[in-house]
Amino acid sequence: MVTSSLLMHILNGLAYGMLLFMIAAGLSIIFGLMNVVNLAHGAFYLAGVYIAYSLVARHMGFWPSLLVSVAVVAILGVLVEKWLLERVYGRELEQVLLTFGLSFIFADLVEWIWGSSPLTLPVPEALDVSLNVGGMMFPAYRIFVILVGCLLAVLLWYIESKTRIGAIIRAGVDDREMLSALGININVVFTCMFAVGAALAGLSGVLGGPIMGMYVGIDAEILVSSLVIVVVGGLGTWKGAFIGAIVIGVVDTLGRVWFPSFTMAMVFLIMIAVLLMKPNGLFGRGAAA
Amino acid sequence: MSLLKVERVHKSYNGLQVLKNVSLDVQAGERHVLIGPNGAGKTTLFHCMTGTLPIDEGVVTVNGRQISGLPPYTAVRVGMARTFQKNNLFDNLTVEENLHLAIAACKPYRFHFFKPFYKYTDLLEEAEQLLKQWDLWERRACVVNQLSYGEQRLLELLLALASKPRLLLLDEPTSGMSPAETAQTTRLMQSMPRSITLLVIEHDMDVVFSIADRITVLHHGEVFLSGAPEEIRGDERVKEIYFGGGAPLYAEA
Amino acid sequence: MKKETVALHVAFVAATMLLPLILTSYGLKLTSEVLIIAMFVMSLGLIIGFAGLVSLGHAAFFGIGAYTVALISEHVDNTWLLLIAAVVTAGIVAFLSGLMFIRSSGAYFLMITLAFGQMLYAIAYKMEGVTGGADGKAVSESFNLGFGAIESRLAFYYVAAAAFLACYYLLRVFLSSPLGKGVRGIKENESRMTALGYNTHLYKLTVYSLSGMMAGFAGALYAYFNQYISPDLLHWMFSGQALIMVIVGGVGTLLGPAIGAGFFVILQNYISSYTERWPIIMGLLFVCLVLYGRGGVIHLASLVWSHLQSKRRTGREKSVLPKEGSGFESLKG
Repeated sequence: MVTSSLLMHILNGLAYGMLLFMIAAGLSIIFGLMNVVNLAHGAFYLAGVYIAYSLVARHMGFWPSLLVSVAVVAILGVLVEKWLLERVYGRELEQVLLTFGLSFIFADLVEWIWGSSPLTLPVPEALDVSLNVGGMMFPAYRIFVILVGCLLAVLLWYIESKTRIGAIIRAGVDDREMLSALGININVVFTCMFAVGAALAGLSGVLGGPIMGMYVGIDAEILVSSLVIVVVGGLGTWKGAFIGAIVIGVVDTLGRVWFPSFTMAMVFLIMIAVLLMKPNGLFGRGAAA
Repeated sequence: MSLLKVERVHKSYNGLQVLKNVSLDVQAGERHVLIGPNGAGKTTLFHCMTGTLPIDEGVVTVNGRQISGLPPYTAVRVGMARTFQKNNLFDNLTVEENLHLAIAACKPYRFHFFKPFYKYTDLLEEAEQLLKQWDLWERRACVVNQLSYGEQRLLELLLALASKPRLLLLDEPTSGMSPAETAQTTRLMQSMPRSITLLVIEHDMDVVFSIADRITVLHHGEVFLSGAPEEIRGDERVKEIYFGGGAPLYAEA
Repeated sequence: MKKETVALHVAFVAATMLLPLILTSYGLKLTSEVLIIAMFVMSLGLIIGFAGLVSLGHAAFFGIGAYTVALISEHVDNTWLLLIAAVVTAGIVAFLSGLMFIRSSGAYFLMITLAFGQMLYAIAYKMEGVTGGADGKAVSESFNLGFGAIESRLAFYYVAAAAFLACYYLLRVFLSSPLGKGVRGIKENESRMTALGYNTHLYKLTVYSLSGMMAGFAGALYAYFNQYISPDLLHWMFSGQALIMVIVGGVGTLLGPAIGAGFFVILQNYISSYTERWPIIMGLLFVCLVLYGRGGVIHLASLVWSHLQSKRRTGREKSVLPKEGSGFESLKG
C-alpha cells in the first residue's frame, strides 16, 4: 500500500516535472543563447492557461483551445522580443528589469480580466478516465502529460543534436559571435527561439491547467521552480532542463505530501547542494558562475 | 638560495595540456626571464604560480612555503606580486586611489570599517613617496582612463610594487609600448634593488638580454631549456623554436 | 571636512528634524514609512552600487526582521531586545546565505537570491500555525525604548528619522573606511583586487551581511510602524520594487536609493487611492525606465515629481535628483 501510494506520488511528480520541463527548456535556451534571464516566462504560462480557459468556456473544445492558446502565446513572445527585448540586447540587467516589469503587467492584467479567485481547466473528455497503474487508479490525463513531456524531450534532443537548427543553437550557446561570423541572421534565430520558448511555456500552462489549476501567483511559483531547474541543470541544455525538471518535480510533489511548509526549502536545498558541487549545474557547459 | 620553486607542475585546460611537468627554480635576487612562442604556456604558468588557476599536479613554493592549492590572494602574503599582460587597473578610479588600494592590501587595518581612509596617514605618505619616485605625482588626480597607455603600464607595475614584494612577476611589461617607453621600462627594471627578485615574461629580445641573469625557454608547455643568457643566445634549437616555422597556431592561453 | 560640507550636513539633519512642522498627520505617517523603506532600499543600494551584487531577493532580510519582531513580541516585550534580535537574525541569515551565494555572480546571483527569497516567502505563507500564513499577523506590542510607549505619529516619526540618519551616517563612514574602499575596488575590478592580496569573498560577504542586517533593522521598525506583517514583505515583488527604487534613485550613490524609495512610496500611495492596478503601473514604469534610458528616467522622475508637488503637498521639501552617469553601466561587473 505504501509503495503504491509512493508510486502515485512519483507519477504525480513526473507529471509536474514535465510541465516544469516545458517551461525550463525554453528558459534555459533563451538564457544560454541570448543571455536573457526571462522573468516574464511565468507570465507566458499564465497567458496560456487563462486564454485556453476562456476558449474552453466558450465551448471551443480542449484541443482547438490548446492550439489557439499556444499560437497566441507564441505571437505574444514574438511581440515582446521584437518590440522590447531587442532594444536591450547585451545589457543583462536591463533585460532582467524589462522582463520583470512585464511579468507584473501580465500577472496584474490577468487578475484584472479573470479575477483573483482560483479557476480550473476541465480535463479533456477523452482523457477523463483512470488507468490501473500497479494496482492504483491513476488519472489518464497525467499519464498523457508525462508522455507529451517525454516526446517533447526526444523531439528537442533530436532537433538539438541532429538538425542544422540545433547545430546553430549549440554554436550560439557556446559562442554567440560565431553565429554572425557564419553569416546567420541572429535576430531571426533569437526571435524564433523566444517564440518557441514562449509557446512551450504556453503549452505547459494549458496542459497544466487541469492539474495545477490557475490562480494569481502561480506564475511566480512556476518561474522560481524553473529558474532553480535551469541553475541545477545547467544553462543552455535541454538535457539539463529535463533531468532537473524531473528531480525538482518529484521532490516538490513529495515535499507537498510530507512537509508542506518546507517544499520550497527542499527544492532550494537541492539547488544549493548542486551549486556547491558543480557551480555550472549538472550539465552546464563553459564557465558561468 | 632559491626563492621560488616550481616543481613538476601539470595543468590541463579544456582537455588541452597547457603545462607539462614544468619545473623552475628562481634564486633570490635573480632576474629570471621566461621566453617562448605564443601559446607556450607562459601566462598560464603565472596564473598557476599565483593560484589564479588551480594546478592539476605539482608544487609551488615561495621561500620554502608551499602556496600551490592556496587561494590566489595569499600569494601577496608570501611576498609575491604580479602584473598583467593586459592592463588590469581600476579604470574609474584616480591614480592615487588605485595606489591606495594596492598599499592598503598589505596593511593590518585593511578590514577596519570605522575610520575614514584618509586618516591613515602612513598610507597617504607611502603613496606620495611612490608616486613621486615614479614620476606619476603630477598625474595623481587623473582617472586611469585619462592616462596615456605608457602611464597605465607604469601604474600596472606600481600597483604590484606597492605590496613591497620580494618576488615580482611581470607579464610582458613592455607590451604595446613605444621604443622610448620600452627603453624607460627596461631601465626601471635594471634599477630595481636586488632585494626584489624578478621573473619576467618578455618577447622583446633586446629587453630580455639587457635584464636577464638567467633565461628559461618554454615550448609547448614544457621547459625546453634553462640557462645563462649566452647559452640561450647561442642555442640553435631555441632560434628554431622562436623564429623558425614551428610557431603553433593556437593563441596564448 | 570642509566647512560647506559640514553646513550641508547640519542642514540635512535639521531639515529631517524640522520636517514635522509642515506635515499633516497623514504626511507624518507617510514620511515615516518613506524613511523606513528608504533604509531598506539603501541597504540594497549598498550591495548593488558599491559591491556589484544585484539581488532580487533582498526583501527576505526585511521580512526576516519584521517576522522576528512579530513572532518574538508574543513572548518578549523589550523593544531593544526585539530590535537586536531582528538585526542579529537577519545578519546571521545573510551571512550564511551569502557564504553560499557569493561564489556566483551576475545572472546566477540574481536567480539564486530570487529563489531564496521565494523560499522564505513560501515558508511564511504555508506555516500558518506559526506565521499566520497568508493572513499575516498583527503586531500589538508598542514601541518602547525605555521612555514610555511611543504611540503618536510624531514620536514615531522621530524614531524613524533618527534611525534613518544613523543608518545613513553609518554607511558613509563604512564606505570611506578601508573596508568600504576595498568593497568598491572589488566592484571595479575583482581580479586585480585578488592579485593585490585582498580576500574578495570575505569583503563581499561582510558587506552582504551588513546589508542584510540593515534590511532586517528596517523590517523590524516596519513591523512596529505598520503593526501588521504579511508574507508580502518577503515577496519578490517587494524585492523588485526595492531594486527599481535603487535604480531610479541612482546606483552607486548613498542617498539616491533613499530618494528613489521616497519617490515610489509616495507614488504608490497616490496611485493606490485611484486604482488597484498598481502592479501594472509599476510594471510599465519598469519598462519605460529600461527603454528610455538613464537620463530619461531622471528627467521623467523630475517631471512626475514636479507634477506631484503641484497637485498636493508631499512633505518632502528638497528633491535632490541623482547624479548623472550613475546608471546601468556602473552595475556591470
